[in-house]
Amino acid sequence: MKRVDLIVIGAGPSGLSAAIEAAKTGMSVLVFDENARPGGQLFKQIHKFFGSKEHKAKIRGFVIGQQLLKEAEDAGVQVSLESTVIGIYPEREVVVRKYVETPAADGTDPQEPSSRHEAVFHYKADAILVATGASENMVMFDGWTLPGVMGAGAAQTLMNLHGVRPGKRVLMLGSGNVGLVVSFQLLQAGCQVAALVDAAPKIGGYGVHAAKVARCGVPFYLSHTIKKVEGTNHVTGVTIAEVDSHFQFIPGTEKHFDVDTVCVAVGLSPMSQLLKMAGCEMDNSGKGGGQIPVVDAAGQTSVPGIFAAGDVAGIEEASSAMIEGRMAGIRIAEYLGYETKEAGEAEFSKEEASLEGLRQGMFAPQNRGMKIEKTEEGIPISTNLLKHGFVADDEIGRFPGVTHKAGIHPVMECTQNIPCNPCQDACAKHCIHIGLNITALPAVEEGSTCIGCGMCVASCSGQAIFLVNEHTKEGCAEVTLPYEFLPLPKAGDEGFGMSRSGKPVCRAKVVKVRTSKAFDHTALLTIEVPEDMAMKARFYRSRLECTGGDSVIAQSRIKGAEVSQNGATGDRPCESKAAAESEKREEGAAI
Amino acid sequence: MAGSDLRISEHPILGQTKEGREVTFTYDGRPLTGYEGEPIAAALRAAGVMVHRYTAKKHTPRGIFCAIGRCTDCVMIVDGEPNVRTCMTPLREGMKVQTQYGVSSRPEVTP
Repeated sequence: MKRVDLIVIGAGPSGLSAAIEAAKTGMSVLVFDENARPGGQLFKQIHKFFGSKEHKAKIRGFVIGQQLLKEAEDAGVQVSLESTVIGIYPEREVVVRKYVETPAADGTDPQEPSSRHEAVFHYKADAILVATGASENMVMFDGWTLPGVMGAGAAQTLMNLHGVRPGKRVLMLGSGNVGLVVSFQLLQAGCQVAALVDAAPKIGGYGVHAAKVARCGVPFYLSHTIKKVEGTNHVTGVTIAEVDSHFQFIPGTEKHFDVDTVCVAVGLSPMSQLLKMAGCEMDNSGKGGGQIPVVDAAGQTSVPGIFAAGDVAGIEEASSAMIEGRMAGIRIAEYLGYETKEAGEAEFSKEEASLEGLRQGMFAPQNRGMKIEKTEEGIPISTNLLKHGFVADDEIGRFPGVTHKAGIHPVMECTQNIPCNPCQDACAKHCIHIGLNITALPAVEEGSTCIGCGMCVASCSGQAIFLVNEHTKEGCAEVTLPYEFLPLPKAGDEGFGMSRSGKPVCRAKVVKVRTSKAFDHTALLTIEVPEDMAMKARFYRSRLECTGGDSVIAQSRIKGAEVSQNGATGDRPCESKAAAESEKREEGAAI
Repeated sequence: MAGSDLRISEHPILGQTKEGREVTFTYDGRPLTGYEGEPIAAALRAAGVMVHRYTAKKHTPRGIFCAIGRCTDCVMIVDGEPNVRTCMTPLREGMKVQTQYGVSSRPEVTP
């Protein structure tokens, strides 16, 4: 039996963070993970994270994963992969199932090649940290077992880790952050998203995540759920229907979509079985997303020497899991005498404060299930955002980031209190004010001068910041927006300005496309639109590269035709003759 | 893989997809190609295969469901061994991958 100071189960964000903190104090640390590569779910997260600098805000999840791995390596953390912990026994004995390679006898007998076998190994540690994370929940609708129905995380794994699209056309069930983020990632991977559906009457995740999906033209169906997934051997379609306040189907409200994939994002459950097996006192109240261990602030369970951190101790997010892991690692080092009480406490309280900073705002754990009607600033929240995924035209003006001004200026369509402040730091000209309370809505600093550098646009993890020049020349305005799709439009391209709801509202011409290392794969597209569209056009679509579905392509064509027919924009100076010509050609091509 | 419209060749955030060595394997006797080291399930999905197995009792199809080795829906017979989680098992040259019926490689006769 091999002995170490600390065994960590799970090489995800919390497990690695704990291992790093412990190893830094000189402890021998061994991390087990059943996967072929470490990092847990971090490497599937390709969006920029929220929070502030200390939480690694505006850095993409997979990059945070790379940083964490480097840090673990530097600290001398040992990670044993493809190693599944199958039991924790008394006196902190850990049983691990691993693969062993049996070499071919002498290589001459082709009937006896080298083979892989499972074998069981025993380890013992003075402390154990269980950081096994969570698994996806499911809903059992008719047809839920058909190939093509999968967890949203599964879709994310296929496309972001393995470079394979889960399907061509997808319906997403679940409007929490996972459902919203994965829907956007499906669009980025080149899939069509037919609809985003949730049985709840309002969107569960961040409004900014919903808004980026909505402006791509994906329709939201709240108070709807899946009635039946169709197909014999695999998914060929899905029928959804509206539900009443008791979640019962309302007859006659069925809607059908032809899809080959249905993704389910209906929450996560902690994988706490090992802790229960180890005899830890468990909390079954359901407030942590399922059965969770009873732990103190450092993750110490009721069994001395056994700790838990990350999602297994209550579903939150990767950013908080990393801090919880560090806190557990520091406390374990203290517990085993590798760290003095004083030094440990100082570090611990620093992490604790950082975690506290993340657990603020409308989506904080303590606000789960609460009905919030006003922001911290006392502004009524957008009801349209909660129902349809975008802030309505008559709502957007009441938020402090949305102001009018001559010349270029930032417009921050950030309407919910979430702990995030990279935009404030991004602006060298101090145009953006959030203050010390990082959940405050960003406001435009009076008297400041925007130089149009676009750093705020690229730094906004929610892609909610736009640079707007409401009047560039007679009848024209320019909008600079974040763009994370391929192919990247080029200056001179002509297409459509899309509203927050993803509907084409005007013709638009790309006047500038900026990419930069500092923008981290977020391109900045500047489009020229009619003046009255300056506060309405929030996305750009070229003619046929509509990632949101065929219906949107058709709509674009019709709307475009309408625009030129009724002459609403036809006379405007920014509608060049070339643009009109090109549209004619495009209509022809599309028919 | 050339020919598969489900492969992402270039991604706006992740860039060019890193591909391993192209290898050949068989799926129910049919030769398919994939990239060495990627999960068998990913190679099958890219090749258009969605059914991994049929259940023992009701003979209903199953495919990729969790993709992280939790649910065991994607198990198949790999090199003669049943119940291999294809989402976790790296693809290797010459692998013999078969649809699993219950725990067998042959469809059972339904009464």
